[in-house]
Amino acid sequence: MRAGIFICHCGHNIKHTVDVRRVSEYFRKIPGVIVSTDYAFVCSEPGQDIIVESIKRYNLDRVVIASCTPSLHGDLFKDLLKKSGVNPFLLRRVSIREHCSWVGDDVELNTEKAKRLILAGLYSASHYIPLEEKMVEVEKSALVIGGGVSGLSAALFLARMGIKVYLVEKEAELGGHVRFLGNIWPSGRKGRDIVGEMIEELKGLTNVEIFTEAEVTGFEGFFGNYGVTIRQSDRERKVIAGGVVVASGFVPFDPAIKPELNYGKDQRIVTTFDLERGIEPPDLPDRPRVAILHCVGSRDEAIGKSYCSRVCCVNALKVAETIKGRYPDSYVESFYMDVRAHPRGGEEYFEAVQERGVLFTRGNVGEIVPSESGVILRGEDTLFGEVYEREFDLVILSIGMASSPGNRTLAQLLKITLDKDGFFLEAHIKLRPYDTAVKGIFIAGSCSGPKDTEESINHGRASALKLFGMLNLGYAFVDPFISWVDPKRCSGCRQCEEACIAKAIKFDEAKRVVKVEEAACMGCGLCNATCPSSAITLKGYMDSFIGDEISGLLEVV
Amino acid sequence: MYGENIKRVMTCIQCGKCTGSCPESGKTPFNIRMIIRKNQFQSDIEEYIPWYCTSCGACTIRCPRDVKPSEVVIGIRSMFVEEGQIPTQIQKALENTFVQKNPWGRARTKRGDWSEKLDFSVPHVSETLSKRLLFTCCIQAYDPRCMVIPQNIAKIMNSCDIEFGILGEEEACCGNEIRRIGEGGLFEELLEENKAMFKEYGVQEIVTLSPHCMNALKKEYEGSDIKVVHYTEVIAGLINEGRLKYKKPYPRKVIYHDPCFLGKQNGIFDEPREILGAIDGLTLLEFTRSREVSLCCEGGGGRMFFEVETQYRRNSEVRVEEALSKGAEVIATACPFCVMTLEEKAVEKGLQVKELSEILMEVI
Repeated sequence: MRAGIFICHCGHNIKHTVDVRRVSEYFRKIPGVIVSTDYAFVCSEPGQDIIVESIKRYNLDRVVIASCTPSLHGDLFKDLLKKSGVNPFLLRRVSIREHCSWVGDDVELNTEKAKRLILAGLYSASHYIPLEEKMVEVEKSALVIGGGVSGLSAALFLARMGIKVYLVEKEAELGGHVRFLGNIWPSGRKGRDIVGEMIEELKGLTNVEIFTEAEVTGFEGFFGNYGVTIRQSDRERKVIAGGVVVASGFVPFDPAIKPELNYGKDQRIVTTFDLERGIEPPDLPDRPRVAILHCVGSRDEAIGKSYCSRVCCVNALKVAETIKGRYPDSYVESFYMDVRAHPRGGEEYFEAVQERGVLFTRGNVGEIVPSESGVILRGEDTLFGEVYEREFDLVILSIGMASSPGNRTLAQLLKITLDKDGFFLEAHIKLRPYDTAVKGIFIAGSCSGPKDTEESINHGRASALKLFGMLNLGYAFVDPFISWVDPKRCSGCRQCEEACIAKAIKFDEAKRVVKVEEAACMGCGLCNATCPSSAITLKGYMDSFIGDEISGLLEVV
Repeated sequence: MYGENIKRVMTCIQCGKCTGSCPESGKTPFNIRMIIRKNQFQSDIEEYIPWYCTSCGACTIRCPRDVKPSEVVIGIRSMFVEEGQIPTQIQKALENTFVQKNPWGRARTKRGDWSEKLDFSVPHVSETLSKRLLFTCCIQAYDPRCMVIPQNIAKIMNSCDIEFGILGEEEACCGNEIRRIGEGGLFEELLEENKAMFKEYGVQEIVTLSPHCMNALKKEYEGSDIKVVHYTEVIAGLINEGRLKYKKPYPRKVIYHDPCFLGKQNGIFDEPREILGAIDGLTLLEFTRSREVSLCCEGGGGRMFFEVETQYRRNSEVRVEEALSKGAEVIATACPFCVMTLEEKAVEKGLQVKELSEILMEVI
């Protein structure tokens, strides 16, 4: 072994509590260590140059970098090794910042700890073997699940860029909920027109296949070559998709779950969505008294929905304005907990609606009781601190968005994660907001949480763009951390076959041993841990690494 | 200040859902949202205020932040109980429960007396095979108006060959109201005493008569895995199985009042309606505020034992008036407290109040 050790000061971050000079000197005496040095910022360009030059000059075959957490600058250092002609899997990162210098400020203790950590890394690295990232071809096609506004926008973008698109919609018609919306704030355009244009263009493209009244029933494989089964009535179709955009949408909250609202028992109690769908409320007098309730099905732990649905405040304002427009002499009172008109221009819109004479009463309505002459709302005006009972001719519930019950099946099928509310979870809320944890599967629109039309369109387009970038390369690297079976040790008990969730382990009837199908293996390590004969090894995570790493930690330094 | 719940109290957004749901707000000085607000700031609360709460539970069920306002009231009451700053009648009820194991202070030895007036003998639960216990409830064991309820149910169960037994003088108050008054220590004592009895006699199932007892035994006796049912569930089951048949019609207009502890707090809405609906000739009417939005009779939360000071319109009066305007001849309910509170106003207006079992006795 010809190892090089590079210790980073991270400015003052490491240096102020770890005697880096002493650490680098210590390692010069360790057998197998050819070079040991420290530098202010190893990740900087001069720092990188030191590593590259050392590798070349001393012909190193192991590189140990003691610096920040391995999750930072991972690719940067790997590329450095590649450039210098060393297999990138012979790199070892040791965290002496998060795990050492930041933990305490006793220089003596920290210095000793840093030595042990690096020694452990070095011992472990001595067992490393070069691994090859396999290159696979990527099919330039995409599966888009959901034909609502975000699915349409994703499909349209991908198709325009020349990707073959399979669009799967569970209903008979494309367009999702947006096609029912009367006027979309702030453009004032009809939802049907917006999705109509998109559908028309999509249908005109030759590289798009649309499956309506269809669902995805089978899903297997890996990025670049996902095998998808689409069922349409009683027919099944198998297609290959390079990647996936999940845009399965939402369901409107059903206020019947809250019995005190009496929704569904009286015609005079309707939801904003009912009105959008064109359900006509009963005849109203010339000067109708109309109540609008915010936050129905949102911010409510009594029904397990603690989140804000984001769109309902603007919807409530919109409906108030519409009623004021149609009945100028109407009495419109809006009951709110907070008015959260967050989209751009929302606050100004709130002001404009107030100017039109809509009253805003702060308070979550307690009960709605229908009576003959009207619907009685009972609640507290929390600003006056007074309890009221007021009668209205029409009550409009501004309902929130709930996750689609189908998400659970889809999550299981695609092996992607849901959050506590049943929406799909992104890989990172800020850095990877469109990605899932599975390579090549993206999420778009309200299936990942409440979004308005504009956000849904953007989300769909952004996911499509990210997927396009990956597909357009035409190839992908597969992580080399996959299982390997030692046929001499395998007893053929087949326990690993049962444990494998990727179905990558196959039993060889003739030889009575198991075999790993490399393309399907996800490198999860389940088989590894299950095998009673220790016949399975996960490449890159061998038992000997860990054994020697522990002895490094325990050594006297 | 008030235990674990204080964290949730801090999350209150002062939306007023609780006040809008409260049967006491508006007409009395009791404003539950304001109590939570004051609780957040640890401000003083006048000592007469918390006693308005009837423990109907609407605020806790509907609170969008899971603040459990009615539990906060119990916390405040317990502070006053500890300081001894409580109404005399409440004090009396607590002392009675401590000594005689019932809030009315009747002799504990007479708790099983109601069963002696039956024409068959009711065994002690230890002598039964099924180990099914009929839990009497304090008010039904002693109050002459309510004593008929256990008698009726005993007769019906006996006639349908459902084996059951009682604990007699070994039964203690369930403690449901005691906990709500704020005497957590006494509640624990009652709970331990009853649980020890259940264990000693190997009780397998408890049939409760009062929804208040059911609530305590089912939800507040921690660590108990005995099946607890309300008698309406048993009877509805008997009717569905065809084991209980009505012989006479009841050609009257009956309006059913949902007790808070049976309905909104424990979700039993359909069984009482099934029982009434199966009676020949009976026209079942509904209050505008029924099921989950049923208007509280104001008998819970210790309100059976004392009167709050301010004069205001009783909810029972509102109920009786609506019943009359809908043409009802009888108000039916399934809770002894509701019977007592509603009857007071109904009698004045010439309307009858009947516990479900009383109607049943007239048709079988």
